[in-house]
Amino acid sequence: MADAALSTAPRAARGGTLALRLRQNAGLLGAIGLFVLFYGVYNLYHPRGFSQQVLIQNANEVFTIALVAMAQTVPVILGGLDLSVGAVMTLVNCLASHLVAGGPGEIGLGILACLAAGTAFGFLNGCVVVYGRIQPIIATLATGAIAIGLALFLRPKPGGKLDADLSWAMTNSLGDFAETYGLFGDGSGGGQAPWFQPIAGIPVPLVLLVLVAVGVWMPFRRTLTGRTVYAVGSAEGAAFMSGLPIARAKLAAFTMAGFFAGVGGLFLAIQTSTGNADIPQAGAYTLNSIAAVVIGGTSLLGGTGGAVASVIGALVLRAISFNFRIFDIPPLMQPLVEGLVLLAAVSLGALRALRTRNRLELFR
Amino acid sequence: MMRSLRLPAAVVAGLLLSTAAAVAAPKTASGPGPEPQCFKPWKADTKYMQWPKKDGPYRVAIVNGFVGNTWRIQMIQTAKAYAEQPGMKERIKELKVVSTGTDVAAQLGAMEDFINQGYDAIVTIAVAPDGFDRVIRLADRNNVVVVPFDNVLDTDKVMQVNEDQLEIGRIAGRHILKELGSKREGKILEVRGLPGNSVDRDRHLGFREVVEKEAPKFQIIEIVGNWDDGTSQKATADALAVHGRFDAVFTQGGSTGTVRAMMDAKHPFVPMAGESENGYRKLIAEHAKDGLKGLSYGQSAGLVAISMKAALAALEGNPMPQLISVPIPVEDYTSLKAGVNYWPDLTDNFFTANAFPACGVNISAPEIMAKDAQNVK
Repeated sequence: MADAALSTAPRAARGGTLALRLRQNAGLLGAIGLFVLFYGVYNLYHPRGFSQQVLIQNANEVFTIALVAMAQTVPVILGGLDLSVGAVMTLVNCLASHLVAGGPGEIGLGILACLAAGTAFGFLNGCVVVYGRIQPIIATLATGAIAIGLALFLRPKPGGKLDADLSWAMTNSLGDFAETYGLFGDGSGGGQAPWFQPIAGIPVPLVLLVLVAVGVWMPFRRTLTGRTVYAVGSAEGAAFMSGLPIARAKLAAFTMAGFFAGVGGLFLAIQTSTGNADIPQAGAYTLNSIAAVVIGGTSLLGGTGGAVASVIGALVLRAISFNFRIFDIPPLMQPLVEGLVLLAAVSLGALRALRTRNRLELFR
Repeated sequence: MMRSLRLPAAVVAGLLLSTAAAVAAPKTASGPGPEPQCFKPWKADTKYMQWPKKDGPYRVAIVNGFVGNTWRIQMIQTAKAYAEQPGMKERIKELKVVSTGTDVAAQLGAMEDFINQGYDAIVTIAVAPDGFDRVIRLADRNNVVVVPFDNVLDTDKVMQVNEDQLEIGRIAGRHILKELGSKREGKILEVRGLPGNSVDRDRHLGFREVVEKEAPKFQIIEIVGNWDDGTSQKATADALAVHGRFDAVFTQGGSTGTVRAMMDAKHPFVPMAGESENGYRKLIAEHAKDGLKGLSYGQSAGLVAISMKAALAALEGNPMPQLISVPIPVEDYTSLKAGVNYWPDLTDNFFTANAFPACGVNISAPEIMAKDAQNVK
C-alpha cells in the first residue's frame, strides 16, 4: 500500500499487478510478519493473552509513538528528516494540559487549539525549510529546540489536570467511551444498544489511529501535493522539471508532520491527564520514530514508503519490548536483545540487495 | 492490523470490568504499622493504608524507567540480590525487572501489563511525578500494591518510599553555610539533576530555602548536570570558565565529575555538598586537608529493597504508612573511613550508601558492584 505513486505501469502489465505490489511492499510485509510474530508470542504466553484488557493496554501505549512515527514518515518520504517531531509532540502535550479542561465546549475548543498548534508548528518548519532553504535535519533541530523551550515555558514542572472523564473514555474501549458520555444507550445506560455490542470491545485509541490513517493520510497521499511529496523524494530535479508544485509539497509534508505529532501529544496528555516538558522523552520519541519508519520499510533516501507502514513499524518496536514483560531476560541484557532484534528487523529490508540484477539499482 | 476480538470473552470481560468498578482496594487504617523503625511515616499526620491480606508467595515486578547510569544498574542488582536473600526468597515466587526508558506511555503500559498478568506488587521509579491515575485506578481494582520510590508521584493514593529530598537539599545548604564560616556573600555553584524530576526539584527547593534565608546575599549560579559525571563535569567546566571563582558548590549528583572539573581548572578546593559516589568520597578523603570540605549524602540504590519489603508487608495485610521516610545516610569529611563508608581500592562509579541496618537490609555496595569493580580496576 505504500508507494506505487509513480509506479511503473509497463512492468506491472508484464509481471502481474499483485506480484509487483508485493515486491514493492516487501519491507512492509516483513514488518507485518514481525509484528504478528512478536505480538502473537506475547499474547500466547500472557496469562490474559488475546483479551480485551491486554488489547486496550497495548493500544494505549502504542498510540503516541505510532502517531509520531507517522509524523516522521512524511518528511522522510520527502528525503529529509524531522528532528522536531518529539519536541512538537511534547509542546502540544504541555499545551493540552492547560487547555483541555472545563465544560464540553472548552474541551472541544481546547482540542482544536492543540491540533492547530501542532499543525502550525509543522507549517513553520516547512516555511524554514522552503523559504529559508535550510536542510530539514538542521532546520528541525533548531525548531525542535524552540518547541521544547516553549513547552518548558508552558510547563516548567510537570502538572496540569485534564478532564478525568475524557481521560478515562479515551483510554478504554468504545463501550466505556459510550458509557461515560451516555451515548448509544437503550434506556438502561450508555453503550447498551444492541447494534453497538459487537464493536463495544474495540479500544478507542485503535479507532482513532485508523481514523487518522484513513481520514487524513490516505486522502492526502492521493492528492497532487501528496504524490509530489513522493516525487520530490524520488528525484527532486525531475519533479521540478515536470512542473510539480515542489514548494507546496514540502510545506504540506512538514505541516502534516506537525499535525500528526500534535495528535500524538494531545493523546499523551489525555492518557496521563497531565503535561510534562520531558526533554529526554522528546528525544526518545524522535529517535524511535525514525526507527519505526525504517522498520516499516520506508527508505531514509526518500521517495518510497508510507505512514501506515510506519505505524506497523512502531507496533513492531513496541511489541519487542512487550515480550520482556513475559520472558525472563536479565534486565541489563534487555537493551542488548532489543538492539539485536531491531538490527535483524532493519536488515530484512536490506535483503533486496541480494536479489538485484544490476548493482546500480542499489543506489536508488 | 490487530486481531479480531473473541466477542463473547470481550463482552464478559466488559461486564466484569463494570461490576468491579465499585470495589476500591486500600482502605485508610490507623497506625502504627510493622517495624516502625524501618517504615517510618513521613510526618506525624501521614495516613496509613491497608490492603486485603493475600497469601504468599507473591509475584513482584519492578518497572524501572531510565536505565544507563550506575545508580540504576546498582538498584537493579540490589533488587535481584535482595530477592535471593533468606527471608525474602520464600516470600517471592517471581521477580520480574523491566526498564522502559524515559517514555511515560511505555512505563504506564508495562505497569498495566503486570496488573493484567496478575502480579501482586509493582515497585517502580516513576518517569514523571504525574500521569499515573489510570494505572493506580486499575491497581486498586485488582488489589495490586503499587510502590513508587526514589522519583515518587504527587499523589497520596499509593504507598511510596523515599528519602526526604527537601531535607537532603537543606542538609547540603546547612553544611555549606557552616563550612563557609562567617562569609555571607559571594558566588555558589548549584549543579542540578535531571530537569522536570521531583527529586531534582525538591533538593533544589530545600537548598534554596536554607541558603536564601540564612545568606540572601549569595549569588547562586545554576547549571544542569543530569546527575551524570560526564555532563556535570562539562557543565561545571563551562561555569568555571564564565564565572571564574565560586565560594562553595552544591552538586546533586555526578559529584566526582564536578570535583574533577574544578581540579582541571585549577580552581581552589571549596566547601561542597554532593552525592555518595565512591569517587567523590575518595576525592574528599584525599583533599579535605586542602580545603575540599565535602559532605556526601546518599540517595541509596538500596531504597528498592525497602520498597520491596514494604510491598510484601502490605500484601500480608499490615497497615502501612502512605509515605515512608527512609533515614538519609550522610557522611562528611570528618567521618569518612576507608573500607566502611568508602572504598579507596574500588572503582569511582558506585554509590557507597546501600545498606539499611534498621530494616534488616544488609547488602553492602561492594558486594553488589565489586564484581564489576574488579574488572574496571
